[in-house]
Amino acid sequence: MNWKVLAAGLAITAPLVAVLAAGFGRDPKLRSNALEGTQAPMFDLRTLDGEPFSLEEARGKPTVVNFWSTWCQPCKIEHPVLMQAARSYTPLGVHFVAVLYQDDAAKARAYLQRSGSHWPTLDDPGGRTAIAYGVAGVPETFFIDANGTIVRKVSGPVSQEVMVETLEQML
Amino acid sequence: MIPELGRAAVLLGLAACSVGAVTGLWAGKTGRTDAWRWTRIAAYVFAGAITAATVLMEYALITHDYSVKYVAEVGSNETPLTFTIVSLWSSLEGSILLWAFVLAVWSAYFAYSMRNKHPEHAPWATGCILAIGVFFTFLVSGIANPFERVPNPLDNGPGPNPLLQNHVLMIIHPPALYLGYVGMSIPFGMACATLLSGRMPTAWARAIRRWMLVPWTALTVGIILGGWWSYEVLGWGGYWAWDPVENASFLPWLTATAFIHSSMVMERKEHLKGWTLALVMASFLLTLLGTFMTRSGVFNSVHSFTQSPIGPVFLGFLAFALLVSVVLLAARVDLLTVPDSKLAGPWSREFAFLGNNLLFAAFTFTVLLGTVYPLLNEVLTDVQISVGEPYFNRMSVPICMGILFLMGVGPALPWGQTEPNVLLKRLGVPTAITVLIAGGCFATGIREPTAVMTFALAGFAAAVTLRELTEAGRHRAQALGEPVVKALLHTWRVGHRRTGGYVVHFGVIIIAVAIAASSVYRSEAEMTLREGQTKSFMHYDITYTGTERIDEPHRWSRVARFDIQKNGSSIGNAEPRLNHYKTMNQSIGTPTVMSGLDEDLYLSLVQVDPEAKMASLSIVVEPLVWWLWFGGGVMLLGSIVAGWPSNRRRKVA
Repeated sequence: MNWKVLAAGLAITAPLVAVLAAGFGRDPKLRSNALEGTQAPMFDLRTLDGEPFSLEEARGKPTVVNFWSTWCQPCKIEHPVLMQAARSYTPLGVHFVAVLYQDDAAKARAYLQRSGSHWPTLDDPGGRTAIAYGVAGVPETFFIDANGTIVRKVSGPVSQEVMVETLEQML
Repeated sequence: MIPELGRAAVLLGLAACSVGAVTGLWAGKTGRTDAWRWTRIAAYVFAGAITAATVLMEYALITHDYSVKYVAEVGSNETPLTFTIVSLWSSLEGSILLWAFVLAVWSAYFAYSMRNKHPEHAPWATGCILAIGVFFTFLVSGIANPFERVPNPLDNGPGPNPLLQNHVLMIIHPPALYLGYVGMSIPFGMACATLLSGRMPTAWARAIRRWMLVPWTALTVGIILGGWWSYEVLGWGGYWAWDPVENASFLPWLTATAFIHSSMVMERKEHLKGWTLALVMASFLLTLLGTFMTRSGVFNSVHSFTQSPIGPVFLGFLAFALLVSVVLLAARVDLLTVPDSKLAGPWSREFAFLGNNLLFAAFTFTVLLGTVYPLLNEVLTDVQISVGEPYFNRMSVPICMGILFLMGVGPALPWGQTEPNVLLKRLGVPTAITVLIAGGCFATGIREPTAVMTFALAGFAAAVTLRELTEAGRHRAQALGEPVVKALLHTWRVGHRRTGGYVVHFGVIIIAVAIAASSVYRSEAEMTLREGQTKSFMHYDITYTGTERIDEPHRWSRVARFDIQKNGSSIGNAEPRLNHYKTMNQSIGTPTVMSGLDEDLYLSLVQVDPEAKMASLSIVVEPLVWWLWFGGGVMLLGSIVAGWPSNRRRKVA
């Protein structure tokens, strides 16, 4: 018996099996909806231009929080939907806010300059806000009503229909 | 009738492979030829029975027999015939049946081709392979039984997953991957046999390599087709997203590739035997891991089917297979090691292979870590996070550069010790080419470091590969006064393994260039157009000509039509669409891809407002994407050349 090989082999495989086994009973798709109906975690961040932004201040108005990044292609597909929605619903009192996810502020600024935006984009150093919201991948969008309750969470790009339907519900 | 017949066939298969597994291992231990003969017969019966079960399932699907549970779940009267046939692998139970089917046919073919060969190893190997068969057939006969009878069958069903219904690539991508995944069982069985017998003669080592080449090729094709499918279907203009399940297919490919290289050192120099066998075993174990990821629902991915009871059973099998592999390796590896073995100095072919293996191992570990890390984190801290593309790209780019570099240096180095001046002579021209390409890049404004390095290293590797392919032929032509073409063809045929290997390298070089160009120099934009309006992006003029609603039984779609001009001349119409499936709350787009040798124009429809006559588009221009698929074809060609059965009359080149 070559004990070194045995030890090395077990050191690699045993933790792997343990992690996989512990993963049972957690449906990643179900869990992600657990936030719906709970109070949205508050955050104080700065926009890409350095302005402070606090979710607390948005209280009293329905808010759409969108997590995105420039390396995420589906986010770019979603972008025009957000643009259109922001144009139509900001006048009705809906707040739109974007949080940058695992990305470089300079790249995001360049992208937004090209593609335009009608909402503040927040830098999230260390991803603390993303962790608080349990973001598992981008894009993810949280619809928060006037009382600060998360009404709906959408993983993946929001379609125009879902966007309009949810906003109408909240208004 | 079909539920009962199907189940009977599966049970017969289960009995046959159980018997075969026992007699195979017994024949391996005792060397009894009658037990070996029974093992082969068991393998044939296993193959026959599972083939019958698969044919019955296809028959039930095609005839819409909704009394069969699987048909009731994935069939529908509206689904076109082709997609009805391929719906065998559109859901969990069917794909496990397909797995068992491929394994049964493979093991029978293996047993048949080994009937007069390798008496010391073949029974052990067949026994191990059939033991794997026992597990999968057990799944099909029990918890994943697709033949369960539906008590009160309806006269229609929901049809297969919509995403799997909209492209022909879905017909070949999954079976190619399955062929790769399942095929890994054979070299795994052979590796176990090597360890069990404690001996690895050269002929057996060669046989393992040959049996590995087929699943490796299938996996290569499957992965590339998967990338192509997501590019053509998913609408975000990308071909690879480091999705857990994509990674799952990539991991065994990495270890198998490492094996193909280390086995050459093993054959020639008797080194790295234990390591090479470990790679074979890892390749199979990683396919199990991959299947587990797809089937258990533990990972969140576009590919995963829902939570299923198969998960825990599968994990149990994975843990068992891991344990057996590790213990077997630890217990027997010392029997294979050559006591007085030392690798030659740093400037030798074997050393380059060693570097290659280290890089591939590091790559495997990196991807595995990134894939499992979210789960690990969630288990430890109860917080969900994801490991995004930035991690994978940051980690994989330097590794790929290293691999590309060694792909150039390795083949230029001779086996054993090298004199420095020989080295200088062999690497002089390729180095000059590298410098020229890098200079050319700078002169033409290509400054992105990743792109410049990839192009330069690709040039280096291509120059070396080309020389390696032609050197022998040129010498022969000179020595015998033959025409160069004839001499080349002769040397290629005689050294077909080598030739094929280098052709595969060419494919990889093409793919590396295509990936670098298309990811670094991709340009994108979004635009909204009124009907009749024309807007420009780069050298394209895009005119919105109108929209139409199309109703189908299972979905409705909005098609927007655009007239596309490139540099002022028309290149045709684009008709991207948005599909609304009745069962989903997201609309799924069908992009239009206009491919060219220089670049692809990729249009996805984002939204259409028929009242205002407006349409929003996302536009991506990506250079050289077409070459990615072409490079895949070159790799396939190379593997076929390399794996072609050798000429019986051995000639000396």
